Amino acid sequence: MKLILFAQAPYQHLPEDFEHRFESAVTTPYSLTTAERVCAAYQDLMEILLHGARCGFDGLAMTEHSQSPSDMVPNPDLIASALAYVTEAAGLDVAICPVGRSLGKSREPVRVAEECAMIDVMSRGRLVAGFPVGLAYDACINNGIPPLAVRGRFEEGLDLVLRAWQDPHPFAWNGRHGQYPSVNIWPRPVQQPRPPVSITGIGNPRTMATTFERDLGFTYFGWFGANLTGGRVFERFWEIGERAGVARNPYRLSFLQTIAVAETDEQAARDYGRHVEYFFRKNLGALRPEMIALPGGIDINGVRALLRDPGDLGMVDKMRDATFDQLRAAGAVIAGSPETVRDGIAQFAAEYGIGNLYAQLSFGSLPRDLAMRNVSLFAEQVAPALRGLWAEHDHHWWPRRLGGAP
Amino acid sequence: MTRDIPLTVFGGRLTVHVKALGDGDPLVYFHPAAGLALDPFVQGLAARYTVYAPEFPGTSAGDPYAVHQVDDVWDLVLVYEEVIRGLSAWGCPAVGASFGGMLAAEVAATFPDAFGRLVLLDPLGLWRADQPVADWVSAAPADLAALLYHDATAAPVLPADPAAAIEAIASAVWSTGCTGKFVWPIPDRGLAKRLHRIAARTLIVWGEQDRLAPVGYAEEFRSRIAGAEVAIIPDSGHLPQVEQSAAAQRAVTGFLAR
Repeated sequence: MKLILFAQAPYQHLPEDFEHRFESAVTTPYSLTTAERVCAAYQDLMEILLHGARCGFDGLAMTEHSQSPSDMVPNPDLIASALAYVTEAAGLDVAICPVGRSLGKSREPVRVAEECAMIDVMSRGRLVAGFPVGLAYDACINNGIPPLAVRGRFEEGLDLVLRAWQDPHPFAWNGRHGQYPSVNIWPRPVQQPRPPVSITGIGNPRTMATTFERDLGFTYFGWFGANLTGGRVFERFWEIGERAGVARNPYRLSFLQTIAVAETDEQAARDYGRHVEYFFRKNLGALRPEMIALPGGIDINGVRALLRDPGDLGMVDKMRDATFDQLRAAGAVIAGSPETVRDGIAQFAAEYGIGNLYAQLSFGSLPRDLAMRNVSLFAEQVAPALRGLWAEHDHHWWPRRLGGAP
Repeated sequence: MTRDIPLTVFGGRLTVHVKALGDGDPLVYFHPAAGLALDPFVQGLAARYTVYAPEFPGTSAGDPYAVHQVDDVWDLVLVYEEVIRGLSAWGCPAVGASFGGMLAAEVAATFPDAFGRLVLLDPLGLWRADQPVADWVSAAPADLAALLYHDATAAPVLPADPAAAIEAIASAVWSTGCTGKFVWPIPDRGLAKRLHRIAARTLIVWGEQDRLAPVGYAEEFRSRIAGAEVAIIPDSGHLPQVEQSAAAQRAVTGFLAR
């Protein structure tokens, strides 16, 4: 199993009653911040990820949010490029995994292709690119894309990026969403024929089918409560794969889980409880449902399915006042002693065929020193037991330089 | 008795379903963003006219992906031109509400002889920074009634049967998404530059308490369309044809009969 450390740059000092007074995106008043605390968020992010690289994680991951205090990273490639340089200079052989460069949102897919190629070059072939369709509020409100156009833009952007990486000759692109007289990016990726790609989604069957059709990975974020949603989503994923006639290889599937490790279960609750609550309450808990589902963004059949059975959304409607115990019970977080965490993840991964774990070990208001300890404990006492899982499979969605077989 | 007239247009790429009711002279009705409702206002028009109400591409039952055949307002205008000619209704009166008002105005500006008379009920399509049009697409369902109606109790109630309610919500949400493609994120596609081309005698009807597109927009439309008249409907929000159906009916039929 591949273990990738995932981190964000949240604003960590929102008021106690934030989730009852404000929204966590689009309208959040910037007057809640101080410049010093905003600066600290990025220092923490870089230090935590670099600590992960030194502790032996297989990869470092970050994503994209905009106009939100939950994660002040408007483009994951900015963080990824800085890490590509530092890890190369320091001889740290980790994958660089920007999981969130949304192609449904981007109006500049050629630039996305070039940015990713640049990260692949700077890291000398360690990029694992991640392209989500796009969060509704981010693609549509922050970036002005009509909800109905997001998926078409994503599919066209994906075609364009993959071709821009691989076509040796300049080509003209006459798309529905963009036209370019000559696409000929510099640099081109180091990895041949192209860097591995994973598509991030929340359970839409069409997104899953796309990954099988194009032989890409699929990444699922477990924030809605993986005990509630994971079984449904992962079983759907493998069923779609089976129908497509694709052999089951767990390395196709990545799963992001919020994790908190301490010496004992009780210690984990004491050390992490309120920071876990901060993360979920002031992030998903302070987001109106419309922000993740705008009219036109979800197919009419998807709307019908969600109205009949909103199970894919897990406990999202209870996040605003969710307690640590509720979040742990729903699987939004796995917290406890190294044994508890190890057993929980191993069982979940084995049951659903998960080959890549994106471990989110810093979250909400968790101070840097506690986050560092969480990373260390995970690396020393949890990771060794998970590494051997799926050793019988080849990893076709991982850089060759790092042992993958793309 | 409502008839369904399927018209294949746009080089065969699209079938527009037109609902037809009544049996007088033809009149074309352009429905609002959430889809066609054959409400008392439309029924009232059908007492005097044959009302042809084209369903916006993507909003017809069983054909949701038709919307993907149309990319922009220019495509839409050409589709509707073919539909109106196909109905042999060229030169007839047209009534458009909200999003449908914008669409009717676009057709009338592009083809000045398309309609003999034009009625626009709280039409979209213009933008004033000091009176921004509210965002109905991303509004919470609980806030939508207050945005659309002066008195929120005027809002139609959902069917009691859960399955029918799901169908009603899904279809209103999808219709809002289909029409939203052509006005998101700001409902201004340059109509202000084209309104002067409208040659039809025009009535602009506005709900006095419209919170979605404030009544100040009535003057913005009037000043750009030669000879246009304005009728303000009191105690009404954005949908006077729903909230003050009788008053809206009187204003519209009175204007069309003159």
